[in-house]
Amino acid sequence: MLFTSFTFVVFLVAFFCVYWLVSSPLKLQNLIVFAASYLFYGWWDWRFLSLIFASTLVDYFVGIMIYRTPNVGRKRRYLWISVIFNLCLLGFFKYFNFFIDSSIHVLSTLGFHPNIHTLNIILPVGISFYTFQTISYSLDIYKNKFKPTTDFIAFGAFVSFFPQLVAGPIERASNLLPQFLNKRKFDFDKATDGCRQILWGFVKKMLIADSIAPYVNDIFTNYQSYSSGTLLIGVFLFSFQIYGDFSGYSDIAIGVAKLFGFELKMNFNYPYFSKNIGDFWKRWHISLSSWLNDYVFTPLAVEFRHFGKNGLYGALLLTFLLSGLWHGAGWNFIFWGGLHGLFYIPLIYGKKRFKSIASNKKLQSKKYVSWRDLPSILITFILVNFTYIFFRSKDLTTAFDFIRNMIFNISNSTKNAEIYNHKIVFIFIGIFILLEWIGRDEPFALQYVKRISNHYLRWTIYCFLIFILGVFITTTETPFIYFQF
Amino acid sequence: MILDELTNIFRDVFEDDDIHIENTSTSDDFDEWDSLNHIYLVVEIEKYFKIKFSSREILQWNNVGDMVKSIENLIVK
Repeated sequence: MLFTSFTFVVFLVAFFCVYWLVSSPLKLQNLIVFAASYLFYGWWDWRFLSLIFASTLVDYFVGIMIYRTPNVGRKRRYLWISVIFNLCLLGFFKYFNFFIDSSIHVLSTLGFHPNIHTLNIILPVGISFYTFQTISYSLDIYKNKFKPTTDFIAFGAFVSFFPQLVAGPIERASNLLPQFLNKRKFDFDKATDGCRQILWGFVKKMLIADSIAPYVNDIFTNYQSYSSGTLLIGVFLFSFQIYGDFSGYSDIAIGVAKLFGFELKMNFNYPYFSKNIGDFWKRWHISLSSWLNDYVFTPLAVEFRHFGKNGLYGALLLTFLLSGLWHGAGWNFIFWGGLHGLFYIPLIYGKKRFKSIASNKKLQSKKYVSWRDLPSILITFILVNFTYIFFRSKDLTTAFDFIRNMIFNISNSTKNAEIYNHKIVFIFIGIFILLEWIGRDEPFALQYVKRISNHYLRWTIYCFLIFILGVFITTTETPFIYFQF
Repeated sequence: MILDELTNIFRDVFEDDDIHIENTSTSDDFDEWDSLNHIYLVVEIEKYFKIKFSSREILQWNNVGDMVKSIENLIVK
């Protein structure tokens, strides 16, 4: 069930009515969330409900067992059950064919020709998100940072909570689970704020990402026919497609959660206004980068601490390579992660002290970025765009070929790219950047409108956005890019 | 007193002489206390007190009080 589908609108309205009608007892309301989330997820493929239920069951019991046993060795063994189970789920459904293909490639390079077949495995939607969420639950209990719940319904609702189930934000139990254990009250201001954020999410997804998507597809598919300039435009467009798509999804998810009295973590904080790569990772997919920071980078850096800065470089690179692999089962994604790691290293190298460049804390200072930061913002944006070539290309060879064409094919365009007949897209992007810049101190740009005291003007803006969405809406449903991860 | 010695290490690492820490202080209380500075802090504490923490206990710290307890335990040993 896509957020942008009519089915979802019907589902949301029906669920909203039932949810607030049955506001007590709390257990029943949680059971309704649990059931509705399974209905939402099962709409894609009901068979995969068994996976999410198995992951819920394993971590529910593992969490309790880790907490109850005083023996450290036994705690560790229980933790391994959770980690191995979830990674096996992920490994089989997402990476099995990648590892088989890579092994066959290595063996054939060495002169062996094994007769191994890959399997036709369908990737269950959102598996990378909910497995990471359940692993972090068990890890936090193991590290004495969180006490497990014995309320299975609340835990099941926490794991499967439909707004963030398939593409995040990846929630921590410490933030979301207590919200299931306490009574929620309908808050009109929070609900209207949620609606505003949903509207902004739709603008990002449908007006920006979906209107750009066909031209990006055209340029990346026919890159050999286009000149350097067109290829550069293709990469630039993709940067806004993926940002609009993914942060749009997060905005809708956070907004929908607010309708039901929940607060999810901020997932994007104007990442294209970042002043360096470290800053970018504080602002882009914050729930994943903070997850990797807490559960991969920090333990590795602690382990490697006696190697000085070299230990930090190692921990950093391994973390980014893993981040790449998380995004997709392909060498181009691993390379993309590695490039971000490499771009990050000078930030550590150049500092006597390692001042806050890897913090996952919310940026609080007002006007954190200003016009004066434009040069560093542009450099960071160019670096991030360069890495997108690897992210968007279908494989590593294609990515390098794309770059070769971008450098050497300066004026030899054999066909005219579709984008040149639809220049209105650039106007959309220009207005979008301007609005994001104006609203950059708000949790999402449209919240800036709240500051306008004139009631009529505020509503004119909302109605105008809804009207524009209606005019430019594409008739075909475009899935969110991050569903594939 | 360990907390006073720890305060000096914090001031040195964060290059801020006005830093004041308590047992209840956490990384949320200091903008500069991020994952990288945390590693630097751990290394400096180990050097200063001539001790070596286990990785597990470092990852379990929730506040400065937990750090003080770990230091006390290792010094006693």
